[in-house]
Amino acid sequence: MKTKTTPLILVDPEKCTACGLCQMACSMVHHGILSPDRARIRVLRFEGGRGNVPLVCQACQDAPCIKTCPMNARRRLDNQAVVTDDERCIGCRACAYICPFGAPVVNPDSGKTMTCDLCAEEDAQPWCVKACRDYGALTSVGSGETVARKSRERAAQTRNAYKPKKA
Amino acid sequence: MKMLIVGNGIAGNEVAFSLRRARKDFEITILSAEHVPEYDPCSLPYFIGRDVPRDAVFRRRLEDYSTHGIELVLGQRVTAIDPEARRVSTEQGLTYGFDRLVLAHGGSLFIPPIDGIDTQGVHSCKQLAAADRLDQYQGSAAVVIGSGAIGIEAGEALKKRGYEVTIIELLDWVLPALFDPETSRRLAERMNDCGMRVLTAEKVLRIEGGERVSAVITDKRRIPCDTVVIATGVVPGKALAQTAGIEVERGIRVNEHLQTSVGGIYACGDCIETVDACTGEDAMFQLKHNALEQARVVARNLLGEPAAYPGAYAFARAHFFDTHAVTFGKTTRATQCELGQLEIIERDEGEDYLRVIVKEGLVVGGQAIGRFADFIGLFIGAMWRKDNIPGIRENWPLIVRAGSAYPWTFRKLGELIGLKA
Repeated sequence: MKTKTTPLILVDPEKCTACGLCQMACSMVHHGILSPDRARIRVLRFEGGRGNVPLVCQACQDAPCIKTCPMNARRRLDNQAVVTDDERCIGCRACAYICPFGAPVVNPDSGKTMTCDLCAEEDAQPWCVKACRDYGALTSVGSGETVARKSRERAAQTRNAYKPKKA
Repeated sequence: MKMLIVGNGIAGNEVAFSLRRARKDFEITILSAEHVPEYDPCSLPYFIGRDVPRDAVFRRRLEDYSTHGIELVLGQRVTAIDPEARRVSTEQGLTYGFDRLVLAHGGSLFIPPIDGIDTQGVHSCKQLAAADRLDQYQGSAAVVIGSGAIGIEAGEALKKRGYEVTIIELLDWVLPALFDPETSRRLAERMNDCGMRVLTAEKVLRIEGGERVSAVITDKRRIPCDTVVIATGVVPGKALAQTAGIEVERGIRVNEHLQTSVGGIYACGDCIETVDACTGEDAMFQLKHNALEQARVVARNLLGEPAAYPGAYAFARAHFFDTHAVTFGKTTRATQCELGQLEIIERDEGEDYLRVIVKEGLVVGGQAIGRFADFIGLFIGAMWRKDNIPGIRENWPLIVRAGSAYPWTFRKLGELIGLKA
């Protein structure tokens, strides 16, 4: 059983090849089948340029999904992940809509939402991280501060890559 | 320090438990007019619809209060505040002293002055006791008066319980405070398709019935029914503050620290009037996320940190059966009377609909049905960051060929507003 020191998943979109192995791994560990539609991680694929973006719940410290769920179904695990309690969820998708990334995935079988639980039930690394070891787009990093620092570095790169002309 | 909180709802509890997490020495008391531990009014329709069991509506149990050393006093409705003597008194004649007072008593259902409103079979769904009565009632045909979020959810719940449901809305379109007519029209069509009959621009004149409701009479027709649900809106609880000399307008007036006009008395939740986080204008968005955020600011101030509340914002989902919709920010109607160039981005693709309200190039609000709702969070982010929408259009080639995955939110936003790679 993991504790607060469970690492978080750091996403590096520059390394993502959109192979989809993370989705296969996630659906396998949680639902026992290979089914991208049943994965809590998704890959946004953009045509015409370089860009595949693995999209997964970031377990926000002040998670807006927890505040807006009408059934208080969104809750934080000991390992910091924010997940949906199946018994409370009524499938309204408020969590998906308030999420700045649209991270919650609607389980096609139940109509309820689900998000990354950092493989809380497993004794190993999150399976998507393992599946991505050839490319390294998903890695386990030690703490929220590390993720925040790296995110800030990336944000600076975004700013440098996209310098809009004033409209 | 004696902290006294009036109201056992979302805001009141968030203040209490936030304080207790930080300070073991504060005396914290919650005065509750109701007789149960904290529950979530948002959950009530799902209990009535039998989607969840009754105990799922509760956010806390009685043990939580004793475990954390918070005194929860049930069944004591506060009826007067004496700011000078620093004490409140209740309906039952008890008095409670305080060093700091937090008013978090919320709002109450507006009961329209309709003849027959006292007839047996007329219900509401805003508080647990009323929801229990509705749950236990045996009916078969319901008229819901009011098509706000609560009305629609109550309608869906009763439909699930096997009732025939008719929803009556006074204004010209459903969910009028949250959606524009163009979006509402599509939602109303789906409600009708689901078997929830929707009547707009119709006024209820009286409720008929002797021992029990037998019909609702509107200005257009007679609707036989045996159940009525009043869902005509929530008004903030002002009277308590007003009679104590605390400044009120549409709600209790507070400054940026959520302090009322009387020192040492704070207020948060549905009872207050506040500002819009984006525009700074006076606003009232009586929604759970606002209550929680306000409560946390009150707690921080009570703990000695002069935290400022950035303001409230509108966000609501509208979900019934297979229809999934969402709204955030301002509607077109709310923006139309203002100066500034308005652009409405609209996408209509079969079952899916998107409407983004852009003022002076900035996102100020949006509504979506179906797949466009999935990434509405990106538009909310665009609103907060004041992203320049015409700028995204003008710089689209740069965004698409940026050679980097990082500007992906702009890429996704562009695709959502219809730009092609």
